[in-house]
Amino acid sequence: MLLHKINMLINNANMDKMIYSIVMSDQNLDDLNAVLACMKGISGSRLYRVSFGDISAVVSNINKADVAVNASNAIEFARVAESLVQQFSLLPMRFGSMIESIIVIKKLLEKNYNEILQNLQKVGNKAEFGLRVIVHSERINAECKAKARAKPTLETAKGKENSIYRDYLSTKLLEHRFEEFWLEYVDTVIKDITNRLALLNPIQRIKKKIKVPNIIDAAFLIEKNQTDKLIGIVEELQNRDNGSQYLLTGPWPPYNFVDITLK
Amino acid sequence: MHDNVVDRSKDITILEILDRVLNKGVILSGDIVISVADIDLVYLGVKLLLSSVETMEQLKSDYAVAQDQHAY
Repeated sequence: MLLHKINMLINNANMDKMIYSIVMSDQNLDDLNAVLACMKGISGSRLYRVSFGDISAVVSNINKADVAVNASNAIEFARVAESLVQQFSLLPMRFGSMIESIIVIKKLLEKNYNEILQNLQKVGNKAEFGLRVIVHSERINAECKAKARAKPTLETAKGKENSIYRDYLSTKLLEHRFEEFWLEYVDTVIKDITNRLALLNPIQRIKKKIKVPNIIDAAFLIEKNQTDKLIGIVEELQNRDNGSQYLLTGPWPPYNFVDITLK
Repeated sequence: MHDNVVDRSKDITILEILDRVLNKGVILSGDIVISVADIDLVYLGVKLLLSSVETMEQLKSDYAVAQDQHAY
């Protein structure tokens, strides 16, 4: 029995460590232990914490050869952060990175302590929401083309005939105007969204695209108690704009709002 | 009433999870990380993004069809 336990300890020590999240655990170590005891990591592995100061890394022992990079494992990985974020402020880790030992994890927490704390304070008591806006790009394309064509083209200088150079420039000018009108359209939609969300005082990341259906891919970090208001605002936007789709997802752990590379 | 907005996003939830977990979050610097299965996760991320866009296209078409059916 004792030999079995010693063998298990040696095996565990030799296994790789998958880090799922870094959690603010200052006053809650007992709570964290209790929560982790009820959860499982990838492939049913046991979750435990490696702590330094007020922060803890949530990890499990796993052989890297046993971790397939597939949707199922990635979702299992994400589920750990999703569960923990219900009770703790946390920074979710990116899937697919493992560390060789607990000692290295402790050193990592110590070395990056201040930066981790700052990030944890930034996302504390907040939730991330994703918002994608999908439009009828063909209709917007047609409208932007019509607007671009309605503007004056290059004037031919007196006494000069049309040339391939002039045709080339005219085409480029038309393309440029077409893109300008697309950007103008996307900016109008973004402005509308951000104006309406301003009262929630969100931290936001917005990516915009033109000439495609998914014109906006945004993430907002808001106070958890503002969730209903956010949903209400997106609902209003959707009801008012029948030609587009507003896809709201969340609450998520703050994946889009951690600015940190652990070294 | 609120469920309407959330329901529309249900179909893409898995892709949204994968997009986040593969492309975002805290990063470990290259010299301390042991990459899982030595597979290039950035490549996976790009593939995922492409399938996300396809899904979006499909959703958009479905939505357009539903709107048309409503109109009649």
